[in-house]
Amino acid sequence: MAHRTIAPLLSIIPGLGQFYNKQWVKGLVFLILAAAFFIAFGDLLNMGFWGLFTLGTEVPRDNSIFLLAEGIIALIVTAFGLGIYYWNLKDAYKNGKLRDENFPVTSLKSEYQNLIAQGYPYLVSGPSLFLLIFAVIFPILFSFALAFTNYDLYHSPPANLADWVGLETFAEIFTVDIWRATFFDVLAWTVIWTVVASTLQVSLGIFIAIVVNQKEVRFKRFFRTILVLPWAVPGFVTILIFAGLFNDSFGAINNDILAFFGIDPVPWMTDETWSRLALILMQGWLGFPYIFIVTTGVLQSIPDDLYEAATIDGASIFAKFKNITLPMIFIAMAPIIITQFTFNFNNFNIIYLFNGGGPAVAGSTAGGTDILVSWIYKLTMQSSQYSLAAALTILLSIFVVGIALWQFRRTNSFKEGA
Amino acid sequence: MKKFKKYFGLMSGVALSLSLAACGPQDDAKEGGDTKEADKPKELLVWEDVMKGEGIKDAIAKFEKEHDVKVTMVEKQYTKQIEDLRLDGPAGTGPDVLTMPSDQIGTAVTEGLIKELDVDKDTQEIYTEAAMNAQKVNGKVYGLPKAVETTMLYYNKDLISEDQLPETLDEWYEYSKGVADGKKFGFLALFDQIYYANSVLSGYGGYIFGQDDEGNYDPKDIGINNEGAIEGAKYIQKFYKEGLFPAGIVGEQGISVIESLFTEGKATAIISGPWNVEPFTKAGVNWGVQKLPALSNGKNMSAFVGVKSYNVSSYSKNAELAEEFVEFIANEENSKKRYEITKEVPAVAALANDPVVTESEVAKAVAEQSKFSVLMPNIPQMNEVWAPADSALQTIATGKAEPKAALDQAVETIEGQIEAKHSGK
Repeated sequence: MAHRTIAPLLSIIPGLGQFYNKQWVKGLVFLILAAAFFIAFGDLLNMGFWGLFTLGTEVPRDNSIFLLAEGIIALIVTAFGLGIYYWNLKDAYKNGKLRDENFPVTSLKSEYQNLIAQGYPYLVSGPSLFLLIFAVIFPILFSFALAFTNYDLYHSPPANLADWVGLETFAEIFTVDIWRATFFDVLAWTVIWTVVASTLQVSLGIFIAIVVNQKEVRFKRFFRTILVLPWAVPGFVTILIFAGLFNDSFGAINNDILAFFGIDPVPWMTDETWSRLALILMQGWLGFPYIFIVTTGVLQSIPDDLYEAATIDGASIFAKFKNITLPMIFIAMAPIIITQFTFNFNNFNIIYLFNGGGPAVAGSTAGGTDILVSWIYKLTMQSSQYSLAAALTILLSIFVVGIALWQFRRTNSFKEGA
Repeated sequence: MKKFKKYFGLMSGVALSLSLAACGPQDDAKEGGDTKEADKPKELLVWEDVMKGEGIKDAIAKFEKEHDVKVTMVEKQYTKQIEDLRLDGPAGTGPDVLTMPSDQIGTAVTEGLIKELDVDKDTQEIYTEAAMNAQKVNGKVYGLPKAVETTMLYYNKDLISEDQLPETLDEWYEYSKGVADGKKFGFLALFDQIYYANSVLSGYGGYIFGQDDEGNYDPKDIGINNEGAIEGAKYIQKFYKEGLFPAGIVGEQGISVIESLFTEGKATAIISGPWNVEPFTKAGVNWGVQKLPALSNGKNMSAFVGVKSYNVSSYSKNAELAEEFVEFIANEENSKKRYEITKEVPAVAALANDPVVTESEVAKAVAEQSKFSVLMPNIPQMNEVWAPADSALQTIATGKAEPKAALDQAVETIEGQIEAKHSGK
């Protein structure tokens, strides 16, 4: 048999293949690593996988939720372990192949230099990857897993165990009448809200930036400072103040501004349509300064010679705007604009602080301005429907991730970078 | 390289099946550590409400001396303690004794977070019946009452003198008609929320959940759309329709609007709870309190009575001692002392006539109102009531729906939610 077959086969027990290739130190390292892995994580893996499969069998000894968390950590640790195991097998195979072809096996020194030269980027990003796995991947896996359990008030530790129920929770969203109707109502408004509010804030920001950036405008710094102010005030403060201004009976907007023009008071807080309008206007106010700043930066980086050349060619102001300014802005800003959309899709603060998702809508479990996130929040807080909330979160993420991916792939700004 | 991939797939399959076969419930090692507990000196961890710790300090010192234990007290917001218990309990850092509002007891019992207490009849009898009932789930006792809260009528003494005060809601309605001009208002209440509106609805015969003879709630019997409740809702709607209640106090921001109207002297009287005693005093309002006015059918407006309680965590390692502590801290003597310091009205029946309580206007109003109060249902199904009921009342207040239609709709939603979330368990 060829060395390239024997070495990896021996390496099923890590290190033995390396010994076979006469790489004693490396083999020892792999062997020790493997032993250490099982000694250090043996208990965790044992409990974790058992917990992950059963979610506990006995109350009050077993806490399903902790077992689930432990199980996921065990999965992550296993993935690490398999990664190193793969490396061990691959190394045995590679050196076996070298021996088959009568090349000398790589020396420890050259291997080390190789690792430092090629693996340097990985080495440097390692710690942050590690953090990322436990701060981002782990919670995602955890809430993902929750959606497939029946974890709710009646399946909470310590009195009860939760159990795997597969897609039941998802099915419920679409079969229970009060949820199905609400889900689609809320989804529809969420989409409208995302599109209209984001478009408003983006176009407002770009428009104002272009206006202020005109050569003829004086006191540019002054205008810029003024226009950035809405961004300087913490968002939640602005929202709460606006909530006061929009109050139906006592707010300044009805009592002073609209009254001045002789317009009757508008039911901003108690009528669904007006509440939605108020929210969109507020988001425009809150969101435009950021776009304004970024656009200003982009505008200043467009070389003047482009415009000069266009002028010589006899292009009109409008043609210059359409063919030079706008494309330049969009190329540079596409990622930012997309993030504005995904941000608004999940813009919990403004919805919750302005009117708590209200006004109430007859026969619905969500208020008239509730978007998916705020509805999920209400569901979870109201009656401990954790698995339902997790399932909705997954649906929501699929939506956001899908749109974002599709958009990112369509824009030029990322293709060129890659 | 392709060949290698094949090997790897095979090998990892072998490895995986090996590792799976190895794991199982061999976790007996976890147990058995408990035997050592007895030798250790006993300790109790008590979670008390924020700013209320001062009230039980002396009692703790006494308890420590009598039982030779160490009691540590930590202050935490009492409505949130159940959330912390969910995590701290299993982690072993949870309290032995905690405090919570009684409407959370049903949820806590369902989850198994708090322990049943073995309290004898004599001890139970020192508390008012309503307060003690709030501690029971299916006839079993899960806590002892610490304090009671009800809503009451605050009025501004600068705008109306005590002997001019209307005694019925009808009279307040007439009074408001004379005062309300869009800037100033007479009587105001957050009747777009079931917590407050229930005062009217239940006075006319509405109820949230029906009860059997033993006081157990029946989540299938919802009474917020019965005839009485609809009559009450119509009565409420009148206030909004005629502009006596401005639209600006409807909805999420309503509570802050109504409170600032009162502190600015733009509202003569509002319905609120004891939690506003300090803010109103600080705002410099010359306020007085009274029980809620009577309804047109002669009955007094009721109010939800909220009972705060001391409970024992089911994670407690010294459950017996913790139970003893709860009984001790909630006894008459300590309740009185606690009241003197924290001003939370105690639930001990004998204290209702004690001069320390009767001398205080707030305590008197709470005590009087308690006579007409209904207990907030403590079953988990209550969680499904708040949002739909509030929505219905809000649409009634804004005139978007007729009382009957709105309340029927609310009951349908509540029933649907109970069916979806609380059935078949």
